[in-house]
Amino acid sequence: MKKSKTQTAIVVIVASIIALLFLLPLIFMLFTSFKALGEAMSSSALFPKSWTAENYGSILGIGAEVPVLRWLFNTGLVTLAGTALVVFVDVLAAYSLARLNLPGKKFFLSIVVAALTVPGIVTLFPAFYLFRQFQLIDTYAPLVLIYSANTMGVFLIYSFLRGFPKDLEEAAFIDGASVLQILRYVIFPAIRPVVATLSVLTFLTIYNDFLWPSVVTSSDEMKTVTVGVANLVQGANFVNPGRMMAATLVATLPALIIFVAANRYFVRSVVSSGIK
Amino acid sequence: MPFYLTDGGVNGTMKISRTWSLIMYLPFLICFVLFLIVPLVYGLYISLHNWSVFGGNGGFVGLDNYIAILTPGNIYSTAFYLGLKNTLIFVAISVIPLVMISLALALLVDSIPNKLKVYFRTIFFISYAVSVTAVSAIFKWLFTGNGGYVNNVMNTMGLSSINWLNEQPYAWIAILVATVWWTIGFNMILFINALDEVDQTMYEASSLDGANWWEKFSYITFPSIKGVFVFLTIISVIASFNLYGQTLLITAGGPAQSTQSLIMIIQQMVFNQNNLGIGSAMAIIMGMIMMAIVATQYFYSFRKE
Repeated sequence: MKKSKTQTAIVVIVASIIALLFLLPLIFMLFTSFKALGEAMSSSALFPKSWTAENYGSILGIGAEVPVLRWLFNTGLVTLAGTALVVFVDVLAAYSLARLNLPGKKFFLSIVVAALTVPGIVTLFPAFYLFRQFQLIDTYAPLVLIYSANTMGVFLIYSFLRGFPKDLEEAAFIDGASVLQILRYVIFPAIRPVVATLSVLTFLTIYNDFLWPSVVTSSDEMKTVTVGVANLVQGANFVNPGRMMAATLVATLPALIIFVAANRYFVRSVVSSGIK
Repeated sequence: MPFYLTDGGVNGTMKISRTWSLIMYLPFLICFVLFLIVPLVYGLYISLHNWSVFGGNGGFVGLDNYIAILTPGNIYSTAFYLGLKNTLIFVAISVIPLVMISLALALLVDSIPNKLKVYFRTIFFISYAVSVTAVSAIFKWLFTGNGGYVNNVMNTMGLSSINWLNEQPYAWIAILVATVWWTIGFNMILFINALDEVDQTMYEASSLDGANWWEKFSYITFPSIKGVFVFLTIISVIASFNLYGQTLLITAGGPAQSTQSLIMIIQQMVFNQNNLGIGSAMAIIMGMIMMAIVATQYFYSFRKE
């Protein structure tokens, strides 16, 4: 279907206006974070009349009232460790399911699929209670470990491997390669795009998770950044929109950067997870 | 080669030792059992007991927790039905916008020339990278009654302020807007990917036959993306059922508890009432309701095929 140039131009203009509206909340966050209290409370202009960095000073400086950087550190640590763990166990499991001689393969595959239908809320509080019984509340352990039970990644890589020809592996095998060598030199390069997708999805899931970290942390130092910001929203600090938005921006920026950097992988990737 | 047991097939039907296969599967299996199966079974067990977070097991009570939650007239059932009602209201008002707006957005982005498409796709998808707390922080300041940005703009335009977060239906509207902004990007991406796979020659053929836009949409586009449409409707129902962060942070369950969602209620049962037995039973009932709704949707959508 060929469209006329005018038609295309109208579509692009309409889309641009909607895109701008769509970005408004983020633009509001950015500009409000540079407004002083009085202006932020009363202004109807997005753009600050007088710029101030004091909001950032009060959350980032030495002796900051709110330990945003500490929360960000916790989130970073937990997110990287959790993503590494998920990718490690999922790749091995998917490889085993798709290619190796796993006893009871059908059974294992069906529990992977069945687990996808279990609503998270059903296991959340019992899991919290179990971690509590082992005195692991307010440590990094529950913040990292819980995500490893998600079967989505196994399913994603398994589906990909099923559609991937075996010839290369068999050739490598005849040449005398071991299972680990085949995994390292044949399988891994082939599944790299899916692994990248799984990594970004897992990264954002853990980074942005809220209910679980709010349940298993209690001290201020152990909070992840989503829990910390949530406490700010609920707390007395909420009276200052500028400071609130500065904290929110600092909390959100790392995830936004990862998202934009990995966007290409990601956009294509959601397809495979979705269509199934 | 100790780990291989070949069956000697020249065509490469290789057989690999079971031990080695199990070793590779084991890390995942351990995680899966410890962090999903054990909590699942333990949750069922707890729900049959009088159980508190601080005091532990207070004795077997059979189905009493379930009966208390489902029989109207006590504090547990009152809380549960309130949360269920509010959650169902949100599901009812949110699923259609979540699916339809993202479909409209996907159709719009899809008709943009390829070179520019990438940028629009990224922009509309960007809120996926924002956490529910950040979304709530932003929208709470946009909508807050006194000093909120929306009211400031409305005042400048000569309109009087609306008490967005403390009056219905405005509180639901604020939460709906925040949720739509937060999640339509993801839905849109799936729709765009589905639209990319529609057979283009069918459009050309229908153009020759003089079909208009609506005819093309309803006879070619929609049937081709129906699978994704159903999938996204189900995903949206599940997501809306899990309403928690937005109502906790933007409206704090108010006004007059009208936005207390089911998960908020369960969370309060466990932590404020220290009643893990009731909380677990509520979570299980909620899970069963969700699975029943999803199964029904699935059944009705694909019945004809």
